[in-house]
Amino acid sequence: MELATAKTNSTRRVPTQAEIDKNTTILNKWLGEAETRLGSANPFAKDTQLVAEEHFAHVGLPDRKAEDYKYTHIRTYLQEDYTAKAFAANILPSEIESLLNDDFISIVVVNGKYVTEYSRLNKLPQQVTVQSLYKALQQGNEVAIKNFNRALHKSKNPLAMLNTALAGDGIFINVPETFLCPVPIHIVNICTGDTKALHNPRSLVYLHENAELTLIESYHSIKQTEKNFTNSVTEFYIEDNASLENYILQDEDALSQRNDVRQFIVNRDSRLNSVIISLDGGMVRNDPTVLIEGENSEAHLNGLFIVKENGHIDNHTMVEHRVPNCFSNELYKGVISDNAEGVFNGKILVYRDAQKTNAYQSNKNILLGDKAVINTKPQLEIYADDVRCTHGTSTGMLNEEALFYMRSRGLNEKLAKNILLQAFAKEVSNTIKNEAFRAFIEQKIEENIQ
Amino acid sequence: MLEIKDLKVSVEGKQILKGLNLTVNKGEVHAIMGPNGSGKSTLASVIAGKEDYTVDGGSITFNGKDMLELSADERAKEGMFLAFQYPVEIPGVSTINFLKTAIAEIRQYRGLPPMEAKDFLKTMREKQKLVEIEANLTGRSVNEGFSGGEKKRNEIFQMAMLEPSMAILDETDSGLDIDALRIVATGVNKLRTKDNAFVVITHYQRLLEYIVPDFVHVLYKGRIVKSGTRELALELEGKGYDWIKKEFSEIEA
Repeated sequence: MELATAKTNSTRRVPTQAEIDKNTTILNKWLGEAETRLGSANPFAKDTQLVAEEHFAHVGLPDRKAEDYKYTHIRTYLQEDYTAKAFAANILPSEIESLLNDDFISIVVVNGKYVTEYSRLNKLPQQVTVQSLYKALQQGNEVAIKNFNRALHKSKNPLAMLNTALAGDGIFINVPETFLCPVPIHIVNICTGDTKALHNPRSLVYLHENAELTLIESYHSIKQTEKNFTNSVTEFYIEDNASLENYILQDEDALSQRNDVRQFIVNRDSRLNSVIISLDGGMVRNDPTVLIEGENSEAHLNGLFIVKENGHIDNHTMVEHRVPNCFSNELYKGVISDNAEGVFNGKILVYRDAQKTNAYQSNKNILLGDKAVINTKPQLEIYADDVRCTHGTSTGMLNEEALFYMRSRGLNEKLAKNILLQAFAKEVSNTIKNEAFRAFIEQKIEENIQ
Repeated sequence: MLEIKDLKVSVEGKQILKGLNLTVNKGEVHAIMGPNGSGKSTLASVIAGKEDYTVDGGSITFNGKDMLELSADERAKEGMFLAFQYPVEIPGVSTINFLKTAIAEIRQYRGLPPMEAKDFLKTMREKQKLVEIEANLTGRSVNEGFSGGEKKRNEIFQMAMLEPSMAILDETDSGLDIDALRIVATGVNKLRTKDNAFVVITHYQRLLEYIVPDFVHVLYKGRIVKSGTRELALELEGKGYDWIKKEFSEIEA
């Protein structure tokens, strides 16, 4: 299939030998610290990791000049002294109890590593595979082997390359053809530790033809006493007529720094709904990319970020319409207060052949306080001539007229503000179809708005 | 009930109200008329507690309390209500939930127990009928996508639900067709008791055919320059505001 009809505007300059050497030195340090890597599970994975090492040596960590990282200077967050060595986590089952929901299939991941003894798989249908990606590769699982890094094969994302090179494990989920998973799978991710650690979890989710899955991911910090950096990558394959609901709650503490790359391959007649709720105190960079490769499919990207204190949340999204007759809709909303900083940089790319594309993008932000900052940059790049694409962004304070109106009916200022903010957030939380998780998220939002 | 004495108000350094006096007793309906720019809406906003205005002098007393010391929500809790000239749209907040919250806050302030859910629903049904507002409108976000008439009816509906002792209707009639005007006026008339009071601010005499005032005041250049009974409104309708302007400029001169 011929897809490449859109020109790329990234004319990267050739690195000098000194730069390559410097990048290699950093990478080698981390490679030396990472004890187990996916490559030792499988020779194909090993080849993929070797290629990624080489690519990363050429690009290195993005610097201030990198346009895609203009508002998030990765090097201020991830420094060389972070260690890629894995430490034994010291978490008790009682400490994660409250994070697990009995109505879901619960997968517990600590510092990027699947902890089977804390997970609850009793509701997992036998048709669905959930296991460590390392094991899947080691056991010769064809879906895992064939698809590992396939979605990122051509990606120029330096952090994805770093992850591919260093990744040691993650979760592998496989939903077979025509199977509708009746229970949501909930991956409970916990960050913990007293070391400046760099984690590189790597996951792969595969929905075969006509399959359906609700995948919930939540991110938490427990007993974390030192900064860490999680550089995660998840690949999603949504085959013909399959449907994925992917809900994420990022709720870590101020010591957490997270770069979350997720790459979705969307095929014919299929449907994706991605909802990312970010309530973090630290640094988050969300980097979802949707590659629409099959006709008559639809993708929904919804995000809500509530940033406070010195937090920094960057949403960098990409929707590539590569084929005709598809629909995408994106809504990202931010509430930024104190000294916090929010970023929205969303791009829709419509290939020349992708006629009859309907693509919409909207970013709305509320700034609370004089020092709160939002950098917003919506982008459309369209090479087809028969499409309907719109984008828009608005940023403002809370509506003073609405506040006075509500106060004149007896609501005090704080209550009126909270109600307005919750209403603002609801437009995003309403896109979560699972009622139990939506109720949980709305409760979380309420707590974070107080 | 409401006593305004020598009220002087400015906005961004420009004086709008220049020593206004008004006394409203319970059971009374007062109409305030006046040409555009005379300060009618400023008066309504200042009484309700909008903070964009600077009170340079005078006083507003409501049931013996100094209103200027109270925030907008406290004034509402004391029984003051403002029906907005331009009701605000609040996306994502349903009228029902908004009113539930408002009633809960007001009752708590007055030391009353929370309203039972079934009582709330019963009251809602009654009041909906009163202003002929469809139940689906109150389930929707406050004023969002409402027509002009629906917005004004929603104001009267909220007033009916909150049962204020004093309501200020800020040009509630403007932009209404005759049917909507009749519905709004009927709603107000049904809510009139010997214990509450209304101040009806209007540019036109038309509304006063439906809501019959006890007193009519003419506001011009930040002062009440003429007060009378219903006949004053009719006189204004016949002669227009030029007559007031002329007379007033002669006095000034």
